[in-house]
Amino acid sequence: MTEQKSEATRTLSYRAALREALIEEMERDERVFMMGQDAGPFGGVFGVSKGLTEMFGADRVFDTPISEAFIVGGGVGAALAGARPVVELQYADFALISMDEIVNKAAKWRYMHGGGQAVPLVIRAPEGVVGGLGPEHSQSLAQYFWHSFGLKVAMPATPADAKGMLKSAIRDDDPVLFLENKSLYNRRGPVPEGEYLVPLGVAANLRDGDEVTVVAWSRMTTIAMKAADELAEKGIGCEVIDPRGIRPLDLDAVLRSVERTGRLVVVHEGPVTGGLAGELITQVVERAFGKLKAAPVRVAGNDSYVPQNLDLEGLLTPDADAVVKAIEAVMAAPTTKD
Amino acid sequence: MAGMSKNQLLHAYRIMQRSILLEQVVLRLIEDGTARILLHSGRGQEAIGTGACAALRDDDMLFYSHRGVTQILAKGMPVGPLLGDFLGRVDGATKGLGAGIVHAVDQSLGIMGSSGTLGGGFVLSAGAALGARKLKDDRVSVHIFGEGSANRGTFHEAANAAALWKLPMVWLCENNGYSVSVAHREATSVEDVADRALAYGMPSRIVDGQDVEAVHEAMAEAVARARAGEGPTLIEAKTLRFRGHFEGDPQTYRDKNYLDTMRERDPVKLAADKLAAMGVGDDDLAAIRDEESQNLETAVEKALKSARPGPERIYGGLLAEGGAA
Repeated sequence: MTEQKSEATRTLSYRAALREALIEEMERDERVFMMGQDAGPFGGVFGVSKGLTEMFGADRVFDTPISEAFIVGGGVGAALAGARPVVELQYADFALISMDEIVNKAAKWRYMHGGGQAVPLVIRAPEGVVGGLGPEHSQSLAQYFWHSFGLKVAMPATPADAKGMLKSAIRDDDPVLFLENKSLYNRRGPVPEGEYLVPLGVAANLRDGDEVTVVAWSRMTTIAMKAADELAEKGIGCEVIDPRGIRPLDLDAVLRSVERTGRLVVVHEGPVTGGLAGELITQVVERAFGKLKAAPVRVAGNDSYVPQNLDLEGLLTPDADAVVKAIEAVMAAPTTKD
Repeated sequence: MAGMSKNQLLHAYRIMQRSILLEQVVLRLIEDGTARILLHSGRGQEAIGTGACAALRDDDMLFYSHRGVTQILAKGMPVGPLLGDFLGRVDGATKGLGAGIVHAVDQSLGIMGSSGTLGGGFVLSAGAALGARKLKDDRVSVHIFGEGSANRGTFHEAANAAALWKLPMVWLCENNGYSVSVAHREATSVEDVADRALAYGMPSRIVDGQDVEAVHEAMAEAVARARAGEGPTLIEAKTLRFRGHFEGDPQTYRDKNYLDTMRERDPVKLAADKLAAMGVGDDDLAAIRDEESQNLETAVEKALKSARPGPERIYGGLLAEGGAA
């Protein structure tokens, strides 16, 4: 798959961009259908499938019972039968209810049966710490899937990526866990006119810079960019990279940058311990230790659960200030390699 | 009750013998150290997969159980790929990953695979039925499972969805009375798993799982119903597990006389009796056994000549072509 973008764009929300991807792919391929709790006539609790039942009929876009094992496992079975299901978990947290279906079935079926079967399933899952929804409706949990080697994990950050990556995911022959950050649904941005795809597993370079590489996923890209803007005024050049997911992982894009800058700060929303940054930094250190001028730093969610109290919720995840401080610390770290 | 024709019964007898002989060979290969696998024997339960698959089309989709060798053979897979798996060779169905607990698939034969976790197949098979519905074809999805796994929540989720949407689905329960070591009555609130169908507004049948004709008849009716868009059926086949849950199982949990009473209910013996009543002689049946035995020995020789996989095999097939993890 190649990235094809026309020059002309219009402004869409992340939500509308996702909806457009669903419409285009359902028009293109009759095998595509979508199901989930309240995903039918109601349009999904976050409104992504609004109007789609009316547009495509209740055979193509429909509600399911509150049965997460069936929603994902049924999607796996339908994919094995030759359909191209898109299933919606109402909250990404509910992936934990359907873990056997995601980790043991969707991800392993091809492998454990000798490679002869495809599972072209997309699991859409709204994640993220926002809205006072509490410990079981707010997690960011891509890190749980580092070990699901047969599962692609996509995390779009912009409306353009949301559309282009969802279209790629629907056309992919592997199962894709598609993590949509709830706080991004209203984010507006330029979306190309016409048909285009954004390939899975190719990092986006959001900003060029020579002094420090900042890697951030999903909502945290906006925080990282804000921090980079502030530091630019202080004369510190940050390169900001969005890996757009964790499998495939575009490690090369990060390595190319780190080999130039020698400094690495990694930002994500989920808890810091055992999180996305820990694994990414390890892989960078194993390959490019000699190029590093300072120890890499993690800026991530605190090691606790998400409180419903909005004041406390806001304290759980990093803000731009935390990223600025981390970058300044990395810049100030004593080095013999400058 | 519509019985099986003589030819159908002869074919069923052949499949059951093939399965029994294959299992004997595998036990021999385990014994002499050639096959280093864990095997869940299906001895005693052959009539269920055989009778069920006789009522299916090639393109009907089968999600088989962990005791599924007979089921796979009955759906049309030859013994070669299975032997290759038991021996961990590259010509096996999983191309060398090895499988005592079989994970063979063949889309052209509707052999869809098996969940490793017990009860994992309910939601997948219901999903396959949903997929057939969405693709507007008339395939039926069939899941064969042990009664113990019907205590998983996945049974409830899948049965509810399949009955709600009248999906083309047949649930076929092999009730052999034991979940590994735990007796049915110690783990399950009802005597008959079939009773649970009522809760989903789904018809059910209880059949003698040792009688291949009875299984076939119930299955044919359920498949016709599913194909006509009238929804799922739950069939409970009461059966007997002749051997342990796994090879080496001490079976301290059941009466030593169990085996003697079971011999009388051997499904292959019951099928032979029916054939005798139709005028098929012992010689004819012996000829089938001999032919199956010879074919099997040839397949074993061939499988033993197949290469063992190299270490790179560990990473094969994680993602679709061209995609490494």
